[in-house]
Amino acid sequence: MQIASEVAGNKATLNLNGRFDFHSHRDFRAAYENALGETGVREIEVNFRAVDYLDSSALGMLLLLREKAEATGKSVVLAGLQGTVKQVLDIANFGKLFSVKG
Amino acid sequence: MSGSSLKILIADDSPTNQKQLEAVSRRAGHQAILANDGQTAVDLYQAESPDLVFMDVMMPGMDGIEAVRRIRALPTDKWTPVVFYSALDSMQDIVRGLEAGGDDYLAKPATIPILQAKLNAYSRLLALQKKELGYIEELKSWRQDSEEQSRLGAHVMERLTDAEGLRDPMIQSFNLPAETFSGDLLCAARGPGDVLNVMLADATGHGLSAALSAMPLTQAFYSMTAKGFPLSSIAEELNRKLKALLPADRFVAATLASVDVRNQTVEVWNGGNPDAVFLATDGRVSMQWASNHPPLGVLPAGLFSSTTETVVFHEPGQLLLCSDGLVEAEDREGRWLGLAGSLDLLVAEDDPERRFGALRLGLERHLAGRAGRDDISCMLVKVPIERRRVVRFEPPTPTHQGHVAEWQLSLAYSAPELRYIDVVPAVLGFMTQVEALKPHQGTLFLVISELFNNALDHGLLGLDSSTKNLIGGWEIYMQHRSERLAELISGRIALSFLVHEYEGRAVLDIDVSDSGPGFDYEAQMRASDLAANDTQSHGRGLALVRGICSDLVFSGPGNRVWARYPL
Repeated sequence: MQIASEVAGNKATLNLNGRFDFHSHRDFRAAYENALGETGVREIEVNFRAVDYLDSSALGMLLLLREKAEATGKSVVLAGLQGTVKQVLDIANFGKLFSVKG
Repeated sequence: MSGSSLKILIADDSPTNQKQLEAVSRRAGHQAILANDGQTAVDLYQAESPDLVFMDVMMPGMDGIEAVRRIRALPTDKWTPVVFYSALDSMQDIVRGLEAGGDDYLAKPATIPILQAKLNAYSRLLALQKKELGYIEELKSWRQDSEEQSRLGAHVMERLTDAEGLRDPMIQSFNLPAETFSGDLLCAARGPGDVLNVMLADATGHGLSAALSAMPLTQAFYSMTAKGFPLSSIAEELNRKLKALLPADRFVAATLASVDVRNQTVEVWNGGNPDAVFLATDGRVSMQWASNHPPLGVLPAGLFSSTTETVVFHEPGQLLLCSDGLVEAEDREGRWLGLAGSLDLLVAEDDPERRFGALRLGLERHLAGRAGRDDISCMLVKVPIERRRVVRFEPPTPTHQGHVAEWQLSLAYSAPELRYIDVVPAVLGFMTQVEALKPHQGTLFLVISELFNNALDHGLLGLDSSTKNLIGGWEIYMQHRSERLAELISGRIALSFLVHEYEGRAVLDIDVSDSGPGFDYEAQMRASDLAANDTQSHGRGLALVRGICSDLVFSGPGNRVWARYPL
């Protein structure tokens, strides 16, 4: 999976591309730790538009991000949910844990 | 980098050459061992296992070529470079030396700078080798640790999953691991009221780490089921336990289900698993329970919802639970089997008894010999309609012979406790510590829960049992019950138990009273007479208690009941 990060104003966006699973662990952590380190950032958007699959360890990474973001007073938004990705997140009821944007 | 100090074996019959090499070695900080002939060189090589060898060719007795051949024939786990240092320097000599096992050939006499440079080059190579050997050792020990942990994990998982409860004749299941052992966990056990509880849990990731997350679940599931706790309390406890134990990125998707054949209900809590499905005998899907909750171990107790969904079934069928491994099982082209695909495989077989086999076989064909990418587990629970729903329990044959020690217990619960505590399992917890009551746990659970629920439902909550006779009435009744219970602010239920001897026999007297206005118990008793003939769905509970106890007496306005149970 590739991750393109951008920061605009008080929002950081992580654009994910490819398969989000256990092997993405290190890259994903590096990307969000960067975003968490930006003091001006209030919101971290994880964009799934180009993700074709995610597994349960990916869900775990999202929960970890959520915990760390909360600790630094930032919010996490999941965006660009479609297809299988949307299905997996729905089954896990992640809509109850994260803000979701179409 | 010159590396650390080396042990260098120098074999030469000329003292001058020996001294030269020794001096160069010592100056570079290495240790020199000296041999004057081939045999001594071989012996010292074995005794000292040097890091580097300088070998003369022409020596008395065994020559250098033969010595190197013997050295190379010795078993070894590292590379020890051998440098021939000889006055014989024809092409033929060099080839002979290298073929015997030498790594390098240096013509005599060499200048000190050349010798120093050679020595430094080998020192660097040996340092590199040492580092690599270190990595290999480290990898080996990691691998050993990992295998040991896998073995331990597999052993524990096997013990956890090989539960007696899964051999219940109502259950068929499989659990195919993606790695050597699965992180999916299947559990099944019967509660004291003969209710069958099942759980299919799928932990994050695979292998040992997944198993570690699933392990804390089994104990709580089995002990709470045995004590008769409702499904929602079990879900709550499992979540609490996992949340306390696991880091934020670890959780367990789980489906919990409770099949109550006596009351014809199926209750499900699904957090993060594919839909649970009720399949009628004719293959119709008559109910589907989607995941309504995040998986176990994600939410703190305050936000966790243990709300279950219960349906009353009016026809026999099968309950299907599965992990996402089944839905996401890929064929050669990477296509998922899907839940619909799994159901197609099941209902392709008309005979419900053969559906499980058909699914298993169809899955194998779909996977075409490859292991799944995820653990694949599935459970199919037979849900029958019992022809005689009412008095399944004959009055128990008295088991207690001779003298029984007198034992008494009185408990009272007021509104706040009634709202939050699972009273019947709590009471049963006290009672099963009494030796004389232990063998009666199952039937006592039935009797006490019927009497207690009567007091709560009719005495305090004012619910009307005849609602249950309407279509969809059971759901309405349960809905009213939970609403009114949540609003209950006053009221009291007292229970007292007395084990003693009556007419030479051990008995348990049960007394349950509530602070409600009482109810028309005579109508209830008549209803229970009718229920005994199976014409209506309420009043069955009381009929059951009358079948089990030797006496059942209501008193006052109906807010007090007394029952005698033969031990």
